[in-house]
Amino acid sequence: MSKQTKMGILGLLLVLPSFLVLFVIVVLPIALSFKESLTNASGGYDLSNYIYLFTNKLMRSNIIFTLEVTIISVLLILAISYALAVYMRFNNGAVVQWIRRLYMIPMFIPGVIATYGLIQLLGNHGWAARILYQFGIESFPRIIFDMKGIIIANLWFNIPFTTMLLGSALSAVPNSVIESAKDVGAGTIQIFFKFILPLTYKTLLVGATFAFMGVIGSFTAPFLLGPNAPQMLGVSMEQVFGVFQQKQLAAALAFFTFLLCSIMGFFYIREMIKDEGVKA
Amino acid sequence: MRWYWKAIGPKKIIEFLVLVVFVIFFLGPLLNLAILAFTGNWKYPEAFPHEWSLKWWRFVLQQEDIAKSIGLSFLIATIVTAISILICVPAAYAFARIRFPLSRFFLFSFLLTNAFPKMGLYVSIAVLFYKLGLMNTLAGVVLIHIVNVLMYMTWIPTASFRNVHTAQEESARDVGASPFRVFRSITLPLAMPGILVASIFTFLNSLDEAQGTFLVGIPNFKTMPVIMYSIISDYPAYAGAVFSIILTLPTIILLLAAKRFVSADVLSSGFQFK
Repeated sequence: MSKQTKMGILGLLLVLPSFLVLFVIVVLPIALSFKESLTNASGGYDLSNYIYLFTNKLMRSNIIFTLEVTIISVLLILAISYALAVYMRFNNGAVVQWIRRLYMIPMFIPGVIATYGLIQLLGNHGWAARILYQFGIESFPRIIFDMKGIIIANLWFNIPFTTMLLGSALSAVPNSVIESAKDVGAGTIQIFFKFILPLTYKTLLVGATFAFMGVIGSFTAPFLLGPNAPQMLGVSMEQVFGVFQQKQLAAALAFFTFLLCSIMGFFYIREMIKDEGVKA
Repeated sequence: MRWYWKAIGPKKIIEFLVLVVFVIFFLGPLLNLAILAFTGNWKYPEAFPHEWSLKWWRFVLQQEDIAKSIGLSFLIATIVTAISILICVPAAYAFARIRFPLSRFFLFSFLLTNAFPKMGLYVSIAVLFYKLGLMNTLAGVVLIHIVNVLMYMTWIPTASFRNVHTAQEESARDVGASPFRVFRSITLPLAMPGILVASIFTFLNSLDEAQGTFLVGIPNFKTMPVIMYSIISDYPAYAGAVFSIILTLPTIILLLAAKRFVSADVLSSGFQFK
């Protein structure tokens, strides 16, 4: 056996264990849930579970609610994160230093804890309501157990990570590019749209993908601080699976969220592979 | 007063407002919990508690299922970290240093763990575990924790192995070191910071994982975050806040210990190839 063949086999052997785990916990479950989702009550195969998703009133309102929350959240996350990342890239004062020091903290706080903190802060008779009361404002809007609460939690969980991704892309934009553009008289807006945005839009898409999937696939925050009805799909799935024990319907719901994310997921993987191809 | 604002200029004022909103939004909930944990009683509508005390700490630590959940969480996190180091670091080394067929396919296959919405993936896994009899077992819980860490546990070490200059390895080989010796004395130590960071994230991620465990581990595997779900509805806010601090403490300690290795660049190498 040549040395090259030997090394090839060694490489495969080193990779195999982790790939097998990946196969068992990702590939196999997805294939199985696809099959399960097409299984009807009498054991045959048809689309009855999916038809139920769109004809049942409760399920339909859950789907619409999830899409609403997701789209609003993602747009807000991207806008705020991008603004924050650009601000941190091109400013350097005491304030920026402080934000830089603090902005990663939420990424390391357990989701349950952050959700609980938000409930205590923004709930009925929460800290925010108490402080506003001191200023004579006695009515506090309903945030917890409402769509607003879920959106706020999504912002809390996703802005730091998205800002970090965008920040690392922005730090790759060379200062010389911006300075030379300034030298030839380009304005701030022009520089942004002609240089900064084109150089970072790919990362923006990756960030959008992560945020989109993060929100659609979330459970903890909507479970703890969302309304009882309509529910986010993550919560609804858990109930259908755990409480109502309808495995096929749960699988159909899971697969439906995959379909919603498939376009973005596919795009994400393609962009990442293309990127590596250029550098390899 | 007006002359003062004018002297600082509008830019400074806006910057200051940004910082204030930022701090209130991101740290407010955490600060609130920190205050609650040391409160004896806090009547509405007082802005701050009038009675401070440690009595809720005693209360929480006396609950038997809470104490049990702490031990269980650390046990599971240790197993998850050990297994993922064992299976991912060799793979990372192979990706960085060995040419083998389909290596790009294998490397990018780990993207799959991030290409699906989490709860959908967990429910699919639960459907599989239900068929295999892995519901409510330690193996099932450990596997579902590995889903989240598989990718960066492979990618971060791959990036750090790649960053080790081959020249250093070659010069060690030139003076007669065996390949294994080179790996142990040169490559591994130089790649250690990346592996360490990935391992710490794995440990913390497993410690904090709630929804997957909630789905496949109930009723026997109630880890700290899962207990937290019921604490939120069943216990007073003070007790919940105390438990929140206990649950966040390992994160704070480990991150402070590893602070000089953790950077935005290392973090993003777990999600993006550079």
